Amino acid sequence: MTKIHPLSKITAHVLLILAALVVLLPIYWMVISAVEPNADILSTVVHWLPTHFEPGNFQKALRSQPFGRYFLNSFVMSAGIVVCQLITSSLAAYALVFIPMQRKRSWLFLILMAMMIPMQATFIPVYLILSKVHLINTYFGLVLPFAGSAFGIFLLRQGFVSIPRDLVHAARIDGASEWRILTSIVLPNSKPMLLTLVLLNFVFHYNDLFWPLISTNTTNMRVIPVALSYFLSQEAGQTLQWNLMMAADLVSILPVLLLFLIGQRYLVKGIMGSAIKG
Amino acid sequence: MLTTSKESNKIRKYRISQWAFLAPAMFFITVFIFVPTIYVIYLSLLNWNLLDSQPRFVGLSNYLYLFQDSNFQTALVNSLLVSAAMILVALPIGLGLAVLTDLGLRGSKVYRTILFAPYVIPLVASGLIWSLLFNGTGGLVNQLLGVFRISGIDWLGSEPFAMIAVIVVTIWQFTGYYMLIFLGGLQGVPLALKEAARVDGASAWRVFRYVTIPSLTPSIFFAVIVSIIQSLQTFDQVYVMTSGGPAGSSTTLVYYIFEQGFGMFNIGPATAASVVLLLILAILTFIQLRISHRWVVEE
Repeated sequence: MTKIHPLSKITAHVLLILAALVVLLPIYWMVISAVEPNADILSTVVHWLPTHFEPGNFQKALRSQPFGRYFLNSFVMSAGIVVCQLITSSLAAYALVFIPMQRKRSWLFLILMAMMIPMQATFIPVYLILSKVHLINTYFGLVLPFAGSAFGIFLLRQGFVSIPRDLVHAARIDGASEWRILTSIVLPNSKPMLLTLVLLNFVFHYNDLFWPLISTNTTNMRVIPVALSYFLSQEAGQTLQWNLMMAADLVSILPVLLLFLIGQRYLVKGIMGSAIKG
Repeated sequence: MLTTSKESNKIRKYRISQWAFLAPAMFFITVFIFVPTIYVIYLSLLNWNLLDSQPRFVGLSNYLYLFQDSNFQTALVNSLLVSAAMILVALPIGLGLAVLTDLGLRGSKVYRTILFAPYVIPLVASGLIWSLLFNGTGGLVNQLLGVFRISGIDWLGSEPFAMIAVIVVTIWQFTGYYMLIFLGGLQGVPLALKEAARVDGASAWRVFRYVTIPSLTPSIFFAVIVSIIQSLQTFDQVYVMTSGGPAGSSTTLVYYIFEQGFGMFNIGPATAASVVLLLILAILTFIQLRISHRWVVEE
């Protein structure tokens, strides 16, 4: 780690810059296409800089559909899932870490099983169950299937085990209830893990297409990814407005990109942590 | 006597709070994961079209239908192709990038941020961007290929290019994620071991090959399993870019389930394919548990 040959250093930088360019090029292309006239976008020769600017694209794109409503739906759904998971996961993780219990291994195994079953394999029964109780095409229908999360429990459990047990024991001897210990000792001491859960969850569900696509069927319940996915198919047959599509695309990913840049530390820790645990 | 009753009182109190604390999470997990899993197995034994017929018990005939349906075979093969591409391309590149950004070079953090960024972009958004890049008439990919006098590939509208385009997007999206997984693993490589090897005169390559890689085995294994699980769930890119076409050639397992279930309302074949997906996932999880358990024991 100490001394690296200067030539190797340069090679490493070159490789990294190349990789970064491959990652950035599509994003750059989206940005410049978003501010160009549609006619300029597709051509036979490469053009790296826009020749004409159309800043009005953003306004046009956002007015073409009720994007305000879509953003609202996305935020309500993602925030709802985050809040539910914070409550259910911290309660369950607390029970698994701090309450002496029998059959702890069976509980962990059960939760691990839940973690490996994706919505993509069970969405038909979930749809049938929710339509029985008339929750299809509602916020509840979007949120409830993710209100309990095995991943959330595991993540918080990892944060909770690093809290000194003596702290919990002392509080118990003083007569504090389990609920009190959770809210006044455990949660305040695991803020980074809670933040990780919030960020990972928000980004994951804001980005999720699959379940909202299945469980909503009217324009006013659409979330951002569903709206974007309709952009292509809606305009089929006409000349595709690539510039407007890219403008909408750019605006749609801004919230998650911002969250990522602000909370990078926590997101990264959560992802690395999930891997180390295995 | 007094202590034992006090003791059992305490145990009872613990048991009550244990159930109370686990109940909310377990309620939702049971209703939305375990019950649907059993339900989906049951549905796969029925002949049921949501639009007309009453459900009828047909045993395993939905599974027979699947294995005679060429669309299902294509979907299964495509899902495995995505897995193979991730293991053979995304994982090695991710590992390389992890090693490079772990050298302590100036700007490593910036590189990491950029390389990881695609992972937080919605797949739908990436799919749209790449639909533009892969556009057959004047998209950037064809413009660049034009420099090499390759022209006129209809990426999203012809075989096998549509599936290749889907795979390219998937690699672009997830390579940074695997870089992070490996970076996590690299932090676990004992520094003393590396130093010792270097003091003994081992070249950088030999240190990498004989010290770093063996200590990374658990992360590599984890990444392989996760990448297969992730690949088997490929849907968004396909839905946005190709709709499974042309002629079903870029259909994946989940897209097949979606199409059968929500396009044609054939609940039988759709749920049978779901069960196949669940079985593959169960096998993978079992292998993962077995092997990670062995490693834990060895340590």
